[in-house]
Amino acid sequence: MKLKSISIAVAAALVTASAGALADPARQAILDGYAAKAGTKPSPERGKAFFLAAHGGGKPETASCTSCHGQDPRSAGRTRAGKAIEPMAVSVMPGRFTDPAKVEKWFGRNCNTVLGRACTDAEKADFIAFMASQ
Amino acid sequence: MHDRPHDQIATALAEGGVASSLVAARQPRRARVWDSIVRSFHWSLVAAIALAAATGYLAGASWIDIHVWAGAAAATLIVGRVVWGFFGTTHARFSDFIVSPKTTLAHARALIAGRSERHRGHNPLGAMMIVALLLVTAALAVTGVLAFGGVLKAGPLAFVMTFAAGWTARQIHEALALMLLGLIGLHIAGAIFESWRTRENLVRAMVDGRKEVRPGDHVSPQRQAQPLLAASVVAVLFAATAVIAWTLSLLPGHGVPVAKVDPVYAKECGACHTAYHPSLLPRASWRALLAGLDNHFGEDASLDPATATRLADYLAANAAETADTLPANRLRLVDAARPFTITATPFWTRRHAGIPDAVFASKAVRGRGNCVACHADAGSGRFYPGNIDVPDEATP
Repeated sequence: MKLKSISIAVAAALVTASAGALADPARQAILDGYAAKAGTKPSPERGKAFFLAAHGGGKPETASCTSCHGQDPRSAGRTRAGKAIEPMAVSVMPGRFTDPAKVEKWFGRNCNTVLGRACTDAEKADFIAFMASQ
Repeated sequence: MHDRPHDQIATALAEGGVASSLVAARQPRRARVWDSIVRSFHWSLVAAIALAAATGYLAGASWIDIHVWAGAAAATLIVGRVVWGFFGTTHARFSDFIVSPKTTLAHARALIAGRSERHRGHNPLGAMMIVALLLVTAALAVTGVLAFGGVLKAGPLAFVMTFAAGWTARQIHEALALMLLGLIGLHIAGAIFESWRTRENLVRAMVDGRKEVRPGDHVSPQRQAQPLLAASVVAVLFAATAVIAWTLSLLPGHGVPVAKVDPVYAKECGACHTAYHPSLLPRASWRALLAGLDNHFGEDASLDPATATRLADYLAANAAETADTLPANRLRLVDAARPFTITATPFWTRRHAGIPDAVFASKAVRGRGNCVACHADAGSGRFYPGNIDVPDEATP
C-alpha cells in the first residue's frame, strides 16, 4: 500500500528527527556539565517531579514551573502577561537547552521566581533530562 | 376658505373680479425661491453635521475617521455654498440677503410690533443665522483639522502641529460644536416661528424650493445664475485643496516616533509581554523599572549588565519626553506609587474605564497589558483611535 509506505517513511523520519534532537551535542554538553558539577546521574523522573511540584518559597503567583509552562511540556505555556511560551519538550522544540547562556539566564530568573532561590546543578540536570525525554 | 358655502362662492363668481382673487387665494401661485443647489446643500449639510455630531458626541473614539470625513464633507459643502452665494440664483446670493445692521434692526422692530413683513428669500434675521451657521461650521472645520493634526498626528497639518497647540484647538472645536448645536436649535425655532407667523410651511419650501407669491413681498432684483463659472471655481478650489491636503498628510507627524524598536529590547522584553513602546513612559519611570528587574511585577526578570546598559540607553533616548504623541503626552503623568505601571496611570484608567473586565479576561485579549489586542498600531507607540478594534470574541 502506498499510504502505508508513506506512514512508515513519516514515522521513520520522526524517529530519526527526535533521535537527532535528543542527541544534540550542545544540549548533551550542557547536561553533562550540570551532572558533573552535581556529581549525580541526571534523572528524568526526578526532573518530572520537580517540574510538577508546588514549591512555594518564591512569588505567590508562581508556585510551580507549571504556573506558566503548563502541565504538559509538549504544549505551549503562557506568561502571566498573557504571552505564549513555546513548549519545553525537546521533541516539540528541538532547539531547547542548546544555548548555555539562555539556559543559565532562564534558570537564574525562574528558579528565583518559583523557588525563591537558585536551583542546584542536580535540579538543572534532572530538569533538562526530563524535557529531553519528552 | 375651503369650507366657504357654495352659494357664497356662486355669489363671488357672479361678482367677476373677486372671483379671480378667490381662485388665486385657493391656489396661490408658488414661485421658485430656493434652487436645487441651495436645497441639496441644505439637506446634505444637515446629514453631514448630524453624522459629525453623532460620531463626535455619541460614538467612541474609534469612529474618528467617520467623524473627520463628515467634517470634510461639511467643509466642502460650506465652500460650495459660499461660491454659490456669489454666482447663484437670485435668493442664493449673499447680496440678496446680507443687509446692514440698521435694516436688520428695523426688521426686528417690525416683527416685535407685529407688522407683517415678508421676504421671499431670507429675511434679515434669517440671513444673520445663515452667516453664523456658515462661519461656525467653517471654524469647526479649521479647528478640527488643527486638533486632528496636533492631538492625533493625522491629516494635513500633523507635520507642523504640536500636541499642546492641537489640544487648544480641540477645546475651541468643542466650544464651537456646542455653539453650533445652539444655533441649529435657534434656526429650527426661527423656521417654525416664521412658518407660523407667515402661515407658510418653510420646511416644505426647502424641500420643493417654492414659496407663495403674496402682495407686499419684498421683491429682489432677478439675478441670472452662473452655474458653469461656479462649478469651475468649486472644482479648482476642491482639486487644489485635495492635492495639497493629501500631499501634506503624507509628511511624518510632528513628534511621532520614527526610530525602529531596538531588536534587543523587543526580544528581551517581548519574551514575556508586549514590548511596550519606549515613548509610553518617561525616563524616570524606565530608570526605576530597570533598577527593579529582580522583582518585576512579581517575577525575576534580571538582565546581564551589558544588556541592561544597552536597554537603559535605548529607553532614555526614546522615552516619552522625546515624543509628542497623545500617549507620550498623557502617559508621562504616571501614578507616583507605581511609576512604571502604564495601566495605573490616570490617563490609561480614564480611557479604559468603560471596558468590561470580561474583555480583558477574554482569550483574545488576555490581560490589560496586551495593548495590541485592540490597538493595531500599539507597537509604533502611536495608538491612533481609528486603529482601535476590540476583537469580537472578546466582547461579552
